Amino acid sequence: MSASNRLIEATSALRRDGRRGLSPYITAGDGGLDRTCALLHALERAGATCCELGVPFSDPIADGPVLQAAADRALAAGTTVDGIFATVKRFRDEGGSLPIALMSYCNPLGHRGWPEACAQAAAAGVDALILPDLPVEEGAPVRAAAEAAGLCTIFFAAPTSSDARIQSAVEASQGFLYVVGRTGVTGAGTTFDDGAQGFLQRVAGLAGELPTAVGFGIASAADVTAATQHADIAIVGTALVRHIHAAGPDDAAAVSAAESFVRELVAGTGAPSTS
Amino acid sequence: MQDTRFGDFGGVYAPETLMAPLEELEQAWRTLRADAGFQAEMQSLLQHYAGRPTPLTHAERLSDELGCELWLKREDLLHTGAHKLNNALGQCVLAKRMGKTRILAETGAGQHGVATATACAKLGLECVVYMGEVDVARQKPNVLRMELMGARVEVVRHGQRTLKDAINEAMRAWVSDPQAHYVLGSALGPHPFPSIVADFHEVIGREARAQVLDQAGGLPDLAVACVGGGSNAIGLFRGFLADESVALVGVEAGGEGPETGRHAARFSGGTPGVLHGCYTWLLQDADGQIQHTHSVSAGLDYPAVGPEHADLQARGRARYEYATDDEALQAFAALSEREGILPALESSHAVGWVMRERDVLQGKRVVVNLSGRGDKDLGTIMALRGGSAADGADASEVVA
Repeated sequence: MSASNRLIEATSALRRDGRRGLSPYITAGDGGLDRTCALLHALERAGATCCELGVPFSDPIADGPVLQAAADRALAAGTTVDGIFATVKRFRDEGGSLPIALMSYCNPLGHRGWPEACAQAAAAGVDALILPDLPVEEGAPVRAAAEAAGLCTIFFAAPTSSDARIQSAVEASQGFLYVVGRTGVTGAGTTFDDGAQGFLQRVAGLAGELPTAVGFGIASAADVTAATQHADIAIVGTALVRHIHAAGPDDAAAVSAAESFVRELVAGTGAPSTS
Repeated sequence: MQDTRFGDFGGVYAPETLMAPLEELEQAWRTLRADAGFQAEMQSLLQHYAGRPTPLTHAERLSDELGCELWLKREDLLHTGAHKLNNALGQCVLAKRMGKTRILAETGAGQHGVATATACAKLGLECVVYMGEVDVARQKPNVLRMELMGARVEVVRHGQRTLKDAINEAMRAWVSDPQAHYVLGSALGPHPFPSIVADFHEVIGREARAQVLDQAGGLPDLAVACVGGGSNAIGLFRGFLADESVALVGVEAGGEGPETGRHAARFSGGTPGVLHGCYTWLLQDADGQIQHTHSVSAGLDYPAVGPEHADLQARGRARYEYATDDEALQAFAALSEREGILPALESSHAVGWVMRERDVLQGKRVVVNLSGRGDKDLGTIMALRGGSAADGADASEVVA
């Protein structure tokens, strides 16, 4: 992996400086791609470490109702993978430097062939791929294509994962390891009780040098603080997507709502770490 | 995991949360398929509860009319009215032996849901079935049957509200409760499901082969079955894979014709891709989004085909054709009127293809898997045909 990858630089910097970070998720094309571009700038201004840009898919089996609806809206608005790449490129051309991990089910990207998809994503200014229906077992062709294009691949650890599986995911990931905070689909609340913290601690131990990012059900600054007790980064998806959508059809209002919400969440990373 | 693919197709494209349950399932299946006690329990249930072996019937009047020798493998006579019980019983016994107490399933036409509800009632397991709202409406009798046997039916109101969306929701439910067992109902999904489901349906082809040799005195020229996900077809085909003289034909749902875009004929209008955990032939648009499908039969109304079929097609061992809605309805009428058998609309597609191809099938011996019975489809059929003596009949005075 080239040392100039924005995501690796950003997450390594967190480790180096002993800070915690926030990775907001938005669905590309929800509200139109112009709004998506403006939102990327807002996330950067608000102090996000990196972001996850979701590629809408017709059959999102790991997502709850809020992100299903966001994908439906994005697809109904005519969002395409080419359009998403063009939006990322525009964001970069406008000076955006926020690291972007493209989050997509396998088919919309794999459909065009992994070498092509990775080369196009990298040329647009994407830094990493997160594929929720791609376990390490099926990862080889994607990893080869991503590496050739200079993209990170990010695999998952779940509460059901054995230590051996987590180890394989760590070895196959760069930038960070995506930790699914609980079993279930995106959106429902997660309680960071002793069991969850124990799991996060186990993963952090196995991840070693690789930063960890925990997601699923994080909705407030307090959640962010709790989630980053044993993880480097908190991921906020459903709560942010809901917040933006609730702001209504006006892009400026939605972007402003997103920026203030993410600022509030970023503040949650300032809590002292106990790990 | 081992042997996760059929040639280039199949694989395990599943969320990480499901990988441990899939590994556990694969391990249990490899152990139990070689376990004499498990095999004996299955054999006993299939014989004394499900009603195996099912007959092979010579459809004499229709044969005379078509000019070929048509034999029907009567999975419609299996308990619950379709082949689906072979797999549902198998997986539920497997799950019970794994210590599972809660079963999740999806269903399209409702036959797999009914079979799973049946197996759960018989084995004392909790059962939740996910079913699309469109299918709930068009297969209402099956919804009632599931509920009467104690299953909870969760109506899926998202997406196209058919089988595809029911599978999405069942997979989400499984991600949320990985301690449960998900009884996938067709020969698709992530490994090891396509192999497990085919193993439990192999009995169809094994019986059919022995029966046709015994009753007809030789192997068939063709073995034909409808293909939604492809479970009844793979069950039949497996019996004849080694018999190179037997042509294997899968019949997909042509809907209103592949050229109209309103169909579910993956091999005619699709391309390979990843859906519901496996790499296989799909109906998708230029951007990799899954397309809507159409078929008069709920069980064939699905955008992907099982990966073993994709491999059989790639290797040239089986070929995949289609029958349209109209051809299936004609076959339904022909079997009803000439043979006294009301076939499921799914199975009617296989017979419909034989009827359309009668010219090239002259003198051929054809075994068709009659995968299910048509009682569940009476509402659909009568709405399309109209005109019954039962219309407008009034029993209120008698009842009162």
